[in-house]
Amino acid sequence: MIELFNNLVLGFGVALSPWNVLLCLIGALVGTLVGVLPGLGPLATIAMLLPITFGLPPVGALIMLAGIYYGAQYGGSTTSILVNIPGESSSVVTTLDGHQMARQGRAGPALAIAAIGSFFAGCVSTVVVAALAAPLTSIALLFGPAEYFSLMVLGLVFAVVLARGSVLKAIAMIILGLLLSMVGSDIETGASRMAFDVTELSDGIGFVLVAMGVFGYAEIMRNLEQESSQAIVHAKLTGLMPTWIDLKASSGAILRGTGLGSILGILPGGGAVIAAFAAYTFEKKVSRDPSRFGRGAIEGVAAPESANNAAAQTSFIPLLTLGIPPNAVMALMVGAMMIHGIVPGPQVMTKQPELFWGMIASMWIGNLMLVIINLPLVGIWVRLLRVPYRMLFPAIIIFCAIGVYSINNSAFDIVMTGLFGVVGYWLVKHDFEPAPMLLGFVLGPMLEENLRRAMLIARGDPSTFVTRPISAALMALAAILLALAVLPMIRSRRDEVFVE
Amino acid sequence: MSQEVHASSGAPQRGLKISNPREFYGGLALVLLGFLALWASRDLAGMHGISFGPGTAPRMFASILIVLGVAIMAVGCLTEGVAVERYEISAPTLIILAYMFAASGRTTLILIVAAALLVGGVILAILGMMGPRRTLVRGPLFITLSIIVFAATIRPFGLVPASYLAIVAAAAATPEVRWIETLIWSAVLTAFCVLLFVYGINLPFQLWPTNLSWETLLSLR
Repeated sequence: MIELFNNLVLGFGVALSPWNVLLCLIGALVGTLVGVLPGLGPLATIAMLLPITFGLPPVGALIMLAGIYYGAQYGGSTTSILVNIPGESSSVVTTLDGHQMARQGRAGPALAIAAIGSFFAGCVSTVVVAALAAPLTSIALLFGPAEYFSLMVLGLVFAVVLARGSVLKAIAMIILGLLLSMVGSDIETGASRMAFDVTELSDGIGFVLVAMGVFGYAEIMRNLEQESSQAIVHAKLTGLMPTWIDLKASSGAILRGTGLGSILGILPGGGAVIAAFAAYTFEKKVSRDPSRFGRGAIEGVAAPESANNAAAQTSFIPLLTLGIPPNAVMALMVGAMMIHGIVPGPQVMTKQPELFWGMIASMWIGNLMLVIINLPLVGIWVRLLRVPYRMLFPAIIIFCAIGVYSINNSAFDIVMTGLFGVVGYWLVKHDFEPAPMLLGFVLGPMLEENLRRAMLIARGDPSTFVTRPISAALMALAAILLALAVLPMIRSRRDEVFVE
Repeated sequence: MSQEVHASSGAPQRGLKISNPREFYGGLALVLLGFLALWASRDLAGMHGISFGPGTAPRMFASILIVLGVAIMAVGCLTEGVAVERYEISAPTLIILAYMFAASGRTTLILIVAAALLVGGVILAILGMMGPRRTLVRGPLFITLSIIVFAATIRPFGLVPASYLAIVAAAAATPEVRWIETLIWSAVLTAFCVLLFVYGINLPFQLWPTNLSWETLLSLR
């Protein structure tokens, strides 16, 4: 307990330096700014803004990226409430009741409760992260290659189970991602693999290229298909503050949302989207009058908003302690860390405590900033929504292109990003989900390395994955999950959750 | 990787009718990709003794991908499904591949292939823009062109001309484009990019053309 306190003091010492506070503020502001724009979720936002962190020292860069992430998350809920356009998938449920509240002239309280719920969830989950980090890290140190491999398989299975639509296609996407990650030099022998003698491919395909192409360019191509409809802002923003009754009604929802979100965030493959859905469904179940939901119930805003923020935060746990990204956004963070020369994993906490605890402390500061900056700035965000898409998308295209070019000064990379854009567009048209592919792509090298090491240690005997107890347990869990996902009964339930 | 999909728009009328084309052609593309990966890793050493060689994992995952692709195709044959949401990406794909071949090509053969791909892409693009599906052609095509323009001009001409041209090309991706507005807006955005990236975060970009030569123009890298 004392140790935890000392660690947090160390963290706040780092995060509260004026420079880092400023970076956190800029990150949260820019993240919200981009997150408010329709069609740009946290993934695209982080991928697009990644280059502006290149010149910073690692701690500052990660603090800023975390700020961008929370900002993007929060920006999404603002648009859900005001104009019924979810900025990203984790705020889809917020549109149900949030926008109804806005139509009833209660946009102010809805926005405020979203901010308060997010802040509360942020506070709790920051403590959860700090408390769980140390014990989990010591567990991670017991892990050998076989355990790591099984854990990653479990994470990928979670991603499959939680993906929308066909299980078969989700697995195919993960395998495709793994295969793509193998382009380039072999880790052990240095042999060039599937690079077709192209110099640019010999180092492998950059993950930023894949992420920006699939989530940035492809998304624009999709958006351009639809007739653009100008966002209609229903809100008359009068009083921002919620009434006492609102606060009382939503306090339970915030608590439950935070709890659910914290748990679902830690699970590999989970994350903000599923947490928001689960919290909303749960809230509807426990409500005395479920019929109010969908008609402007404040609990319907409070619960998913708290849950997605809590999950957004706790999903850092597997990343920071085990070095395994539990979802696509965290996969992007891994890439960002690698660019700054940090290999995520248990050694970060012991070798770079100021980075580790500084980042955790900045999570809390980032949440505070969101409350402080967002409520007064709501008016500006609303005005931003009136910028027509025909002016917006060229800006996104050029930012992505410059961003990709700045990584390696390679024009080839820009064109490759374009190729992934077209591929991503095709994937969506054929109902393949790109997020599992990105997760497979990022986990690929680690997965292969651990598989090879485990096999070598076991002298080529693949039964090592089921005879070592921890590994066997993880594998069994993965098998059970996969079996459950294929069972028709659960499948229909799963679809139901997503349809809602 | 998408060409085979376009055949689908005409195919269902005659002979075999595929009941769920979205799944069937999606699976088919994965199978082809799997075979491409198998072919690309054909020279890599496999297992030796108990340890994996560089080629083991790629071949393993490529094989799994082929099996999954076949399974998805089977689902496509056995279930009823919605038609593929319409799209048109053949021209952009060809143009991008042409660029990649040209940029990496050292042999004459590859350069000829690149030229052929480019000609094919341009013809498809022109036909597409004149055809009935021009709204579907437009978005991906001009976004691709914008990316290509930026990639080809950034090194020889510098950031200012490259971004300006790329933004104008991108703006053409929507039928709602207003040209005068676009020309002004592109200048504003270019200025913003220069301020942000060059003066704001000190990225080492050259702004204007310097020592232009055929070599820099044609290197495409």
